[in-house]
Amino acid sequence: MSAQSMSGNMNLVFEKTTVIGKRIAKPDAPDKATGRTIYINDMVLPRMLFGKILHTDRVHAKIISIDTRAAKALAGVHVVLTGADIPLLRFGTTRDNVPLKAGKVRCIRDEVAAVAAESEAIAAAAIGLIKVEYEDLPAVFSPSEALREGAPVVQEDHPDNRSLAYEFSHGDIAAAEAESDIILEHEFVLPYVTHCCMGPSCVIADFDTAGKLTLYSQTQYPYNFKMDLAPALGMHPGDIRVIQPPIGGAFGSKLDIYPFEPICALLARAAGRPVKLTFSREEEFINSPTRQPVEFKIRSGVKKDGSLTFRSVDCLLNNGAYTSWGPTTPIIQMRTFTGHFRVPVVEYKAQAVYTNNVYAGSFRGYGNVQATFVTATVMDMLAEEVGMDPIAFRLKNAQKSGEVTPQGSILDDCRLAECIEIAAQKTGFLPRHQSNTDNRGKPGRFKYGIGIATSIHNAGGAKIHKSDGCGTILKLDDYARATLITGASEIGQGIDAVLTQIVMEVLGIPMADVTIVNNDTALGPWDVGVHASRTTFVAGNSALRAAKTARKQILNAASKQSNVSAEELDLRQGHVVQADNGVAVIRLDKLLRQMHFAAEPELVMVTEYYEPPSELEDKNHVGNLSATWAHGAYVAEVKVDTETGEVQVLKITAVQDVGRVINQLGIEGQMEGGISVSLGYALSEELQLSEGKVLNPNFRDYKVFTAPETPEIELHFVESDCKDGPMGAKGIAELPAIIPAPAIANAVYNAIGIRFFAPPMTPEKVARALHGVARS
Amino acid sequence: MLIENYKVPSTIVEAAQLLRHGAATIVAGGTDLTPQTEAGVREFRATLVNIQRIEEMRGISVADGRYRIGGLTTVTEILESELLAADVPVLVEAADHFASPQIRNASTLAGNLCNASPAGDMCIPLLLLDARVELARWADGSVATRSVALDAFFTAPGKTVMQDDELLTAIEFAQPADGFTATFIKSGPRPALEIATVSMGVAGVLREGVLHNVRVAIGAVAPTPLRATATEAGLEGRLLDEKVIARAAESVRQEVSPIDDARASAWYRKHLSGVYISRALVRLQGVQGVSGHVAEN
Amino acid sequence: MSLKIEIKFMLNGRPVQVKVPPSMTTLSMLREKFDLTGAKLACGEGECGACTVKIDDRTINTCLMLAVDCDGRDIETIEGLGTVAGLEIMQQAFVDHGAVQCGYCMPGMIMQARYLVDQHSADKHKLTRADIARGLEGNICRCSGYTKVVDAVAAVVLEEASA
Repeated sequence: MSAQSMSGNMNLVFEKTTVIGKRIAKPDAPDKATGRTIYINDMVLPRMLFGKILHTDRVHAKIISIDTRAAKALAGVHVVLTGADIPLLRFGTTRDNVPLKAGKVRCIRDEVAAVAAESEAIAAAAIGLIKVEYEDLPAVFSPSEALREGAPVVQEDHPDNRSLAYEFSHGDIAAAEAESDIILEHEFVLPYVTHCCMGPSCVIADFDTAGKLTLYSQTQYPYNFKMDLAPALGMHPGDIRVIQPPIGGAFGSKLDIYPFEPICALLARAAGRPVKLTFSREEEFINSPTRQPVEFKIRSGVKKDGSLTFRSVDCLLNNGAYTSWGPTTPIIQMRTFTGHFRVPVVEYKAQAVYTNNVYAGSFRGYGNVQATFVTATVMDMLAEEVGMDPIAFRLKNAQKSGEVTPQGSILDDCRLAECIEIAAQKTGFLPRHQSNTDNRGKPGRFKYGIGIATSIHNAGGAKIHKSDGCGTILKLDDYARATLITGASEIGQGIDAVLTQIVMEVLGIPMADVTIVNNDTALGPWDVGVHASRTTFVAGNSALRAAKTARKQILNAASKQSNVSAEELDLRQGHVVQADNGVAVIRLDKLLRQMHFAAEPELVMVTEYYEPPSELEDKNHVGNLSATWAHGAYVAEVKVDTETGEVQVLKITAVQDVGRVINQLGIEGQMEGGISVSLGYALSEELQLSEGKVLNPNFRDYKVFTAPETPEIELHFVESDCKDGPMGAKGIAELPAIIPAPAIANAVYNAIGIRFFAPPMTPEKVARALHGVARS
Repeated sequence: MLIENYKVPSTIVEAAQLLRHGAATIVAGGTDLTPQTEAGVREFRATLVNIQRIEEMRGISVADGRYRIGGLTTVTEILESELLAADVPVLVEAADHFASPQIRNASTLAGNLCNASPAGDMCIPLLLLDARVELARWADGSVATRSVALDAFFTAPGKTVMQDDELLTAIEFAQPADGFTATFIKSGPRPALEIATVSMGVAGVLREGVLHNVRVAIGAVAPTPLRATATEAGLEGRLLDEKVIARAAESVRQEVSPIDDARASAWYRKHLSGVYISRALVRLQGVQGVSGHVAEN
Repeated sequence: MSLKIEIKFMLNGRPVQVKVPPSMTTLSMLREKFDLTGAKLACGEGECGACTVKIDDRTINTCLMLAVDCDGRDIETIEGLGTVAGLEIMQQAFVDHGAVQCGYCMPGMIMQARYLVDQHSADKHKLTRADIARGLEGNICRCSGYTKVVDAVAAVVLEEASA
């Protein structure tokens, strides 16, 4: 503030400015860039002990005995727990998991004992002293094997090994098949990949003398987390307080309860001291939930004029030994099979099957990564079969605004065709695609390819729970400093910046005067969680409404004082001004103090709960699950070394329907980051499992993309002001993690004429395909 | 095991004297030791000897036609050596493909060789140069050294002929002859950080399109870094034409004995070996501007 | 009583001394003995670079280096580069260019970026985006996809090369 304004000179004039759409640095970035931020992994509480888990080394075995005597006797060990020491209270998506295993172990993760000790080293040593005797049981690893008669039973409550199942059907498949001129049938296998959050899993549990629990957690869904955790501890959810320190990434891995969390709480309860439990990177690779692997069979039909007739999908999901969110991903998968392009008839079946494998949770893209790999590849194949170019074929089947999909997704603002056209135009797609095709048969070590893929994703939340809402509490103090308490969590994705900008924009106060509080369930109002690309849309709308209510209250108070109507006033740079000419009326902080200390005192304290206008699906999986939907069309350009099989991605051009850009830096960063994950999915990442064991639990052999492998990225935002989005914004962050992989697969096909149905397209896989050498 | 003694010798004499008392754990940069001890696949011995302060084990020098590279020379120092860049560029090429800048800054040549990984990136160019390692020990009141040819140094994955009381003090090789040309190839999605799926070095003295004193060294295709002597023999004195190069590719595919593991299959390692030798030979051929195209576009 | 070794070194410009067990890593020493939690334990194997610290003018993965070897050395951590009150130019660039998301990898990334540019003090202007990316090949980031990290470093190169 200038010296003039401090003295209250009311001849000041403030122009209308906006922070929406600008490149705004994230508020916590300076602390992070200077190493000042204390992440959960850095936290130390007084008298804290260190927890460690003994994971089994078997994939399916009866536990005969566990000898903890030597561990208990080790100096510095405070607690040793096994399944025998705790009531085995069930938790999890289908209540099939318990914190410590008794009776038997079902997969390589199974937690058979846990220790709390005075140092990490002592805890690790104690773990090494625990002796477990097992009797191995026959094990089963693939869904089809596990469905066979007489297969080993993984979970006794499910003797046929069947876990969750989904079915959807719309229209007459037989009629649609009869109508089709071309029918393609293909099988796809989508792999295990993992989040690789840079901050390994970490939790700190602290009980007070009344038996209430404070849990410092990396969770992305703190409020429902309390509800999910409570049963495992025999507690009331209301007695659990979740505090969320800064974390090193989540990407969906923290959307469920995993055994290490109740185990830590049980250790803390037994020890009577806080306990911190952290995974090593190897533990992280083995124990963190994976993306859901899926085996698809898909039949697709098309008429010779290029219009899609039907999709019939049957898939098996490897449930692993316990059910987390992975087997629920068909809910979102289906939206793509029914909604990615106009398909009049759709049939979908999914069966999750228990095996003795590790198990899957949520991961950015949540089922749509897999479903889009399939549909975007099939679209490419159908185009070729029909004899239409890849762009014309897609445009032919692209929906228009107002269309409703067979599942009831209302495409109120459908920009698919626009995205495709822009992507094709910006990359000079068609002539290049043709020339690469013509080049395929010619000699030459390198082959170039260009490929396009699209997808659709929920962009206005996703109503998979009774409420998809978010609460906000907004207050302004006597200095015009705003505190916005939100239920939405900051996991690195930048919602802190977006909410700050919304408050800045509506209340006309600078960034330094806005504080976002978002990390304590004791303070904050409910939010369903950070998932489904919903945070900007839902938390943003919640904050926007609260800010508008506060603004109205302020301008009404200013109006009474100044005899100018509230409609003619505005808030700019910490001042109430006349909207038409920007002339200052009163400093905001002064007004707030006057309101506070008036004869009838008034503080600006607003609460808001925003529920997006979406619907729960009915039992037939029909309903408008999201308040709005968004599309993207991405083009990948690749260079294939036909000798080694290496695929180099030269460029990704990403065109996405985003509604409105709120933070230009933030949206670009989210897109570039999502693209990086999809590049890994396409070309290099796979958590390799053999007989239930993880072969590559380290960064040496699980290959995420690094800086020198990253291609040039060109981003284009289609802005259309989504009617229900905050400032017109749609959710954006999952599409970039979904679309690049099939675009790359289509580009590789363009280059070398070989389709891949099972990513990652590693150099060896590509080389084998080029040389016709199948893997034994 | 708990470490009971920690010693920091500042000379080779002190180090050798320390090592004669029995098995000690030697540490330099720690880039192989620490992951192994933290993972529990290797244990510290009762005595830990930190050799980082032995200045006489540092430095790259050439005298009387022989290069001497101190065992503590880091991969970064190799990478930044103007002397090597001018005279023995294949060493610099390999250093550039090694791990990451941070690892290069800490990894010593001695540590890399003693770790005896079948993939050991720095071993490959050294094998092309007929390098010898100098091993020092305390014997009869003074430091005694012996020289071992590098291609006889490795015995099995992680194992060498070094004894518990020995220190790898230097690596030596003759200054390359006139016309000596060499190249190093390693690929994979990440240029440097990954443990090689296959790495290869090919060298020789090239005169009028004919390679003499051929050396072919390959990593990650056998229990130890491999000198492909049969393939070398097949190339010795031969004009490098398409047929000879194709035969060399076939020969090297026969000569390597890679395993199937999580990183790659035996088939792919063989396949890459064939691809790499073709590339390497074409590249070497191109060096002198002799007939034959350089196949990289 | 297990063995502890006394070491003395310069830490962010100040002389310090501390007793450490011989098997302790430099990373653990910095985090536990000095509360310098900027450098992170993210893999413990030298694969990810989150523990990168400058030691005697070279960046090192401190998860691999034994603390005892810090004796007599000159150590600079992210905390010594700049403060929130006065960010160093590389730190500011990372903030301004949106390179920081969850931020966990950033102390290591920024230390490596600073080192990379300093290594080329004579020919900074020649550093291309590809050179910068290669210089960061030992630092994994799962949030940013690296583009804005390279943007930030490239901006610093431009500014410092023209200064």
